[in-house]
Amino acid sequence: MKLLTLIIFSLLILTSCVTVKEYEKININDPDMELSTKGVERFEINFQVYREAASGANGGKTGGGCGCN
Amino acid sequence: MKALITLIFMTLATWSFAQVSTDSSEVYKKKVLESVEVDFLMSYYSQDGDNSAVGGGIGTEELTDLTPTFVVSIPLNDDDVLVIDAGISAYSSASSSNIDPFDGDQGADPFQASSGASRSDVYFNVSTTYRHSSDDRNQIWSGNLSFSAEYDYLSLGIGGSYTRLFNQKNTEISIKANAYFDTWSAIYPIELSTFLNGPRGGDEADYRFDFDDYVITGNPNYNPSRFKEFDNKGRNSYSLGMTFSQILSKNMQALLSVDLVRQDGLLSTPYQRVYFADTPDSFIENFHLADDNEKLPDTRFKVAVGGRLNYFVNHRLTLRSYYRYYRDDWGINGHTASITIPYKVSDKFTVYPNYRYYTQQAADYFAPYNEHLSTDTYYTSDYDLSGFNSHQYGIGVGYTDIFTKAKVFSFGLKSVDLRFNYYDRSTGLSAFIISAGVKFVME
Repeated sequence: MKLLTLIIFSLLILTSCVTVKEYEKININDPDMELSTKGVERFEINFQVYREAASGANGGKTGGGCGCN
Repeated sequence: MKALITLIFMTLATWSFAQVSTDSSEVYKKKVLESVEVDFLMSYYSQDGDNSAVGGGIGTEELTDLTPTFVVSIPLNDDDVLVIDAGISAYSSASSSNIDPFDGDQGADPFQASSGASRSDVYFNVSTTYRHSSDDRNQIWSGNLSFSAEYDYLSLGIGGSYTRLFNQKNTEISIKANAYFDTWSAIYPIELSTFLNGPRGGDEADYRFDFDDYVITGNPNYNPSRFKEFDNKGRNSYSLGMTFSQILSKNMQALLSVDLVRQDGLLSTPYQRVYFADTPDSFIENFHLADDNEKLPDTRFKVAVGGRLNYFVNHRLTLRSYYRYYRDDWGINGHTASITIPYKVSDKFTVYPNYRYYTQQAADYFAPYNEHLSTDTYYTSDYDLSGFNSHQYGIGVGYTDIFTKAKVFSFGLKSVDLRFNYYDRSTGLSAFIISAGVKFVME
């Protein structure tokens, strides 16, 4: 079982090291695959920052401005 | 011999071709941004609940907010882009109106909005970012300045970032740092502001409110002895963020992100009331007079670790997932998970159903209405710092035309986004937000 876990883990690591060429990035370059949030989502992130204690690690602001209403 | 000559010739040809390719890539430089882009963004937000922080944990949380915003991206040359982002946020808050619940026509009641001056306000913000990319587009530097203001709050921000791409742009590492220097014009609950310069009726007392005009019920000898003016009205925030993103396959990519934030200064909100269980209660009409305002530590350290994983299922369907763990030294732990499933209805239209779950533990300093003790050092009844979980459900529609065939004057319409989200918190607060964005490209 340990060996299987190790193999799966190694495969995952190796897979992650595969270099995708520019001409192979047609799917990766799809706008819906972007790792950043869309501009229009900023308002949702703002109100979540106001109504919840957690912030950060999502592209939203991490400080500045009161946000106390 | 012939074979050897052929081999050498082919090697030379290949090598020279490689040189030409390399040289040509150095000569030809695609512009980072081809032309001016303008984004008009707008949102309408509405919430309601019964745990107002201004009312010390009770009272209406009704609030509406309208936020027109625009973002202009200007290519300065092949490598440099200037981004100007400006917007206003016009809000109307029943909760804020009860900073002074006695200035309306109706009787004072935490569950009823007052019609006074603090009922509405406008928040204004502007930021500018300068971004420079290296010739090979594998390095990006940026710097930004920001300013925001509302009636009782000013914020100045400065920041910068550095991004490095390598492994044929399969891997990206980025580091960013920001600092915000904010200043409060502290506004206190009206009944407390009367005690700002000594006991009630002192020479310098705030005469906007006179106790002699009202009948105090419950304890008639109202005396919020813990209350005093905040000495420090500044708030500084320093953040350091790191992201690592990696293309995992032709159809999958992931991102890891860490943000560290340190805040110091006035982290309490001066006009949020607190009531003590061990202090006799005083009322005017239906409004409980504050025993003190919120008191929170003057430092806070936050850590957020997040990850995104996007998977291209097929030409119609994509999966976008996100998880974040958050903790701070006020005792709050939070988990966030969300998923969006973009589905292309046609080559121009996409629908975006999404769901988000959030949960947090309460801050060490939180207690509900009238449950704090006057012997506590720190206290708040702001339900944003309570323990709760929330669900957010939404749907969006996107229109994209990379050829910008539709025109408005000299601008081509590139994309339109419309989103609706409903938010439900276990404290009883519910909200909805409608947001829209239109992107134009200058022809």
